[in-house]
Amino acid sequence: MGLRLLATAGVISCWTLGAQTPAANDSPFAGSNGCRPCHPAQALQFFRNPHFKTTVAKGATPENMGCEACHGAGKKHIAAGGGRATIPNAFSLMQPNQVLDACLRCHSKDVNRANIRRSSHTQANVVCTSCHSIHRSDSAKSLLAAKQADVCYGCHSDVRAQFSQPFKHRVNEGFMTCSDCHNPHGANSGVSKTGHRPRMVETGLQNEQPCMKCHTDKRGPFLFEHAAVRVDGCESCHSPHGSTNARLLKRPVVFTVCLECHNGSGSFGRQADGIPTQSASHNMADPRYRNCTTCHVRVHGSNADRRFLR
Amino acid sequence: MRVLLIVLASVAAHAQPVVAPTPQTAGSPRGDNAGPYNITNSWEVGYRFRDVDGNNGKYRSDVNFGNGVRLLGGTLGVTSRDGKGKWMDELLLDARGLGNDPYQFSSFRVQKNALYRYDLLWRSNEYFNPALPIAGGDHFLSTNRQMQDHDLTLLPQSKLKFRVGYSRNTQGGPGLWTGQWFDGRGDEYSYFANIRRNQDEYRLGGDLQIGRVKLSITRGWELFKDDTNFNRDTLTPGANTTDRNTLSFLRRDEPLHGKTPYWRAHLLADLSKQFTIHGRFTHSDGQRDFIYDEFARGTDRLGAGRNRQTLLTGAGRRPVTTGHATVTWMPNNKVTVANQTGFHQTRMEGDGKYSEINNGSAGIAFAQFQFLGIRNISNTSEASWQPFKQAGVFGSYHFAERRIRSNEQEDFEIPRGTVPIEQINRNKAGIFGARLNPVAPLRILFSAEVGRNDRPFYPTSDKNYEAYTARASWRQKKFDLSTDFKSFNNANSTSLYVHSSTGRTWGATTGFTPRANVRIDAGYNYLLLDTLTGLAYFADFELVESNRSYYVSNLHTLHAGVQAQVQKKVDLYAGFVRTQDRGDGRSAASGAQSVFTAAQVFPVSYASPLARVSFQVRANLRANFGWQYYDYAEKFSRAQNYAAHTGYVSVSYSF
Repeated sequence: MGLRLLATAGVISCWTLGAQTPAANDSPFAGSNGCRPCHPAQALQFFRNPHFKTTVAKGATPENMGCEACHGAGKKHIAAGGGRATIPNAFSLMQPNQVLDACLRCHSKDVNRANIRRSSHTQANVVCTSCHSIHRSDSAKSLLAAKQADVCYGCHSDVRAQFSQPFKHRVNEGFMTCSDCHNPHGANSGVSKTGHRPRMVETGLQNEQPCMKCHTDKRGPFLFEHAAVRVDGCESCHSPHGSTNARLLKRPVVFTVCLECHNGSGSFGRQADGIPTQSASHNMADPRYRNCTTCHVRVHGSNADRRFLR
Repeated sequence: MRVLLIVLASVAAHAQPVVAPTPQTAGSPRGDNAGPYNITNSWEVGYRFRDVDGNNGKYRSDVNFGNGVRLLGGTLGVTSRDGKGKWMDELLLDARGLGNDPYQFSSFRVQKNALYRYDLLWRSNEYFNPALPIAGGDHFLSTNRQMQDHDLTLLPQSKLKFRVGYSRNTQGGPGLWTGQWFDGRGDEYSYFANIRRNQDEYRLGGDLQIGRVKLSITRGWELFKDDTNFNRDTLTPGANTTDRNTLSFLRRDEPLHGKTPYWRAHLLADLSKQFTIHGRFTHSDGQRDFIYDEFARGTDRLGAGRNRQTLLTGAGRRPVTTGHATVTWMPNNKVTVANQTGFHQTRMEGDGKYSEINNGSAGIAFAQFQFLGIRNISNTSEASWQPFKQAGVFGSYHFAERRIRSNEQEDFEIPRGTVPIEQINRNKAGIFGARLNPVAPLRILFSAEVGRNDRPFYPTSDKNYEAYTARASWRQKKFDLSTDFKSFNNANSTSLYVHSSTGRTWGATTGFTPRANVRIDAGYNYLLLDTLTGLAYFADFELVESNRSYYVSNLHTLHAGVQAQVQKKVDLYAGFVRTQDRGDGRSAASGAQSVFTAAQVFPVSYASPLARVSFQVRANLRANFGWQYYDYAEKFSRAQNYAAHTGYVSVSYSF
């Protein structure tokens, strides 16, 4: 209630300000103090906002300070007594590319956003204000509109369903976030699958798939590489979000993961003459031979055995 | 009961999948002033409990919450009110699950405007996985992984910045491995592993901005050690208890130490309002040195005593070089054209010397050399045109050429002069899409992608694929609805062994706020996946090439939740999540032989209702109670099924 009274008083105050004769200074900028009377809710909490540092930056010019750094010169808006049509950047009215232009005026130099103009999000008109809430975020760091996973689930319902499976990366539990593997601002062409799919997957630190950021024991280099892992990536066998299958595999039964490739056919494989079938000593009629990884334990690569037996 | 019209806090707008920590915090969101600083804080301490009926190992693999007291969640914010603090302007601390949760998280930031910014992220994961279907249930892991990332930026708002970083990743704990001794007709045995892996990474870098150009350079060093050792000192008959193979002793040490120094450089330039360029170059030199020292003792298939010592030393190397150059042209505010050329080259090569001593007599010894080189050059052109506020189109074309070279040699002495085998694969893909915004709340998106690879690397790779996406969303203040459809079809055929896969998902999510203090959300997702691939295998000493692997998944996922606030003091939440894979609808597993011809299915259901109540006792104190039930049920076998009640009681306090 107190806030409402203050806001009401603020509106009256704003109106009063609007009725005043404009200052002799012909700069279109009014300074952030001019915004406070009408927008107390935003003003009172702005000191928590990462953008607040623009108001105390030494040597900053008016177009790069405070409210007007994002919303544009406000003197005309104050003189008119408010209204979205009189503020240069009313984000609720702006087109997506205009929102991008406004934010990238300052944030374009971050290497994390180097691909934002060509990203899948931008192509779908998902821009900064689709995920970030500058004045109503609970997170002081990245100003997301909600918890990161919830922001992403809002559009990616299939991904939400995948993380509801029994085997999954621990995103819902808070151990991981979507941005551990993805760059929502757009990523460079990838390092596997001829660099095309999947999109928006960030490259890891040593020019690898992001899986290797945590699963460093699978990185190698190994004396005997499992070529499929290096050529087409971890998604050759795994579903990284979530799966009903153990170890996030694409199939419930291990031997089908292996034998679907190891069938000797065509010009596949590193020698381009087919991926070798299993040894004739195997007997798939015996259930012992249907758990390939019982013996072939080092399927991600081995230093000791070309058949990954050690 | 009179209900005040209070606008709900912007907490999770979707059904929350885990019941704790409580989203509502204690204390005033406006905090308390202390001198030049404003302080907000809330700490939730509580007791989690669980009661599991059924397979406890599977419960621990999926959920893993146990009994005990812990810090369920905590936040601390100390912020300078005028941005001119003496030593710092902002301190943020966020923690979750500390003390007893299997998933623990903590982040810390402290910064002084224009002078420095320090970020710390620490995470811990207790990983438990008995995974019965894998390796006959003999692969087991109970490890703790801890990761920490430190980043310090000096002069963060200036045109010249300096960056220092350190990261550490450790994994340790017991495990069970399996392996085969002593020859091709031997037996499989399980043995113990003591997993010890460490990774340390050090980073130094700087950013320089001159005019419209920014240069960013990072130099890093990554050090990796794997000192896992394996052992077994008790007699075991192996997987086949009827033969004469046994393993009575095993010791294996295979330390692996390596380093990867790397460079990363970025150049971003706004040449004009219409042109930007971005260049990126990275290079890393990975090297791993290894030793493999194993001694095993037991009996062979004839019952004769066997012991075998194996020694291997060597090194693997993997230099990786990546470059990207991107040009973006925006002639006006309706058109964007971008082109990116990418280059990625890696090679993996290594040497090893292998020797084996059997029953005290020198056995085989040879040297090995492996080489695998991958070079990928790609170019992507993209364009986007928004002629009207209500409609726009976009498209792109991608071309890539990948060269793979491979050389495998194994001999007493390796001649290095042989020419590696080489193959080239070209990928061409095109995307076209449209986005519509006919009225403000309604957005519609279509896109279609068609791709062709002339030489996929393995049978299930993408070859001739099409992907379609459609989304529609209606978002207003009190109501939102979004629907989506995705389809991915891939056909990769050879003369006898066809692989095709089809995946389609349909989804709908909605949220409704009928009153200011009530929020309802729900969603449904259906994934249909079926794949068909030719198989070749040996059965009873005959090569069988006529069978197929046919996998079907009909996965339905439903979630729903209701959130309400009463009298500004009581927050209620009830939710439900259910996943069910119906497979192909069969009610029982097929017989042993038909597993090769009938569809592979894995019908399973996984449901989790939850409820939570949070009371505001005083302005700075809340009491919270929550319950979550997990029900995991496989249709064909009950061995892994479980039902678990979990929950918590806690207090949230603000100092």
